[in-house]
Amino acid sequence: MQALLSFDQAPPISAPFRFFLTAPVFALLAGLLLLASGPQLLASRWTPAALALTHLITVGFMLQVMLGALIQILPVVAGANIAQPLRVAILVHALLVPGALLLVVGLLLSDTLALRLAAVTLGLGVAIFLAAAGRALWGVPSGNPTILGLKLALLGLTITTGLGIVLALALGGSFALPLLQLTTIHFAWGFVGWSTILLAAVSLVVVPMFQMTPPYPHWFARLFFWSVLVVLAGWSTAHFLEWQQPADVLASGMLLLLTVFAALTLHLQRHSKRARFDATQRYWRLAMLSALAASTLSLISLLLPEAAASRQLPLLWGVLVLFGSLMSVSTGMLYKIVPFLVWLHLQNAGGGRILAPNMQQVIAKRQIDHQFHAHVAALALLLAAALQPDWFTYPAAVALLVASGWLLRNLLAATAFYRQHRQRIVNLARATPAPRPG
Amino acid sequence: MTHPRADVVVDARGLEPPEPMVRTMEALDHLEPAGKLLVLLPREPFPLYRALEINGFSWQTEHQADGTVTVLIEHRRQ
Repeated sequence: MQALLSFDQAPPISAPFRFFLTAPVFALLAGLLLLASGPQLLASRWTPAALALTHLITVGFMLQVMLGALIQILPVVAGANIAQPLRVAILVHALLVPGALLLVVGLLLSDTLALRLAAVTLGLGVAIFLAAAGRALWGVPSGNPTILGLKLALLGLTITTGLGIVLALALGGSFALPLLQLTTIHFAWGFVGWSTILLAAVSLVVVPMFQMTPPYPHWFARLFFWSVLVVLAGWSTAHFLEWQQPADVLASGMLLLLTVFAALTLHLQRHSKRARFDATQRYWRLAMLSALAASTLSLISLLLPEAAASRQLPLLWGVLVLFGSLMSVSTGMLYKIVPFLVWLHLQNAGGGRILAPNMQQVIAKRQIDHQFHAHVAALALLLAAALQPDWFTYPAAVALLVASGWLLRNLLAATAFYRQHRQRIVNLARATPAPRPG
Repeated sequence: MTHPRADVVVDARGLEPPEPMVRTMEALDHLEPAGKLLVLLPREPFPLYRALEINGFSWQTEHQADGTVTVLIEHRRQ
């Protein structure tokens, strides 16, 4: 390889990495909060600590990974280049970190000022990202289902954040609103309208590409995104207006769509050309199985309202969705994106004359395996804690700390690998004259 | 493998990233000045286009009925 491999459209590596390295710190904070609050946190899903914990995972961990990945993925899968990606990344990151912390403090202490500041800071951070990503995607035709999915996911993020801001201001006493209904709608848009649509859009590309599976069927790619959006919008309206029966029917429809996505992904994974599953595949399988379990629990709550009113069921469901599904799938993605980016940027640093080391060396497989096992143990203990808080809350908190700390360790190892090899490659490239054209 | 329009063919379907990119680049390194390289891929390679542009190649992309994307690459005429 000589004069080629200069991908100057790739955003600088520090643009996505600042998000990826921050995400596990929020997961560590979630572990610390669980440790500090103890079993009381799990007395109900509405305790201030449970709400704070939820947002450490969603706004702290998830949003960091998803926005960092999108800055990187938009040019690659959609050909949509964000203008000045580093500046956008620095600004959005600088707003999201204090915003997430203020939100958590505000929820934990019911502090009006913190909640208002969080609404402003997070609102601004997400708005800047939406403007930059929206502008990049604007001119790209939506003929490709992934691009349509990405556009609709940004709409989902807009609605989730908008509702979140309204709720934060309402909790801060700014105005009176039907809080419970709006909270459920806010959560549904965050989980389905933003996270699931984004995940499915990205899956259409990355599951066949990185997991060596057949492609998703055409009918799924063509129908899934609009179906989810229409059903979600219908459900939100029915739920807000307290039309119980239509809301239940539409909620079942939403569950069916999520089940189809999870089951189809598991089915494709079974046809992977790879003889042994790698960590990403195992993380995705765990995520899809957790999603199926969460869908089953939701169906039980629809059919048996008394079960839905129990303390345990919503908590179990929350653990399955937040930790089992969303955190698993994001961690699995990180183990592909991070080594790939390190490879790509090292390849660029070599100017096409010095080859980058193999992608597999960036994070040691053994360390990824250990971290996966810690993650599975944390999931099992968190589920047990939802059922028996007195026995399992502290072990679950420790397991969450270990799994998140290990993830941070692995990502820092990738960063150190990049720095070390970049220096070597730049020095070598300087010493190696560029080939003359022709 | 040969192709009526191309001197060299890289079938990168079924390869895990970054292999398709690496193999395409390797093939381009050895491409004769008047040669043509045909790359078969499972999806449209947006990052490849930018690399081709920077490095003085022109290309034509076609979408086949079976979902394969073909990119025919040659040196850009001065």
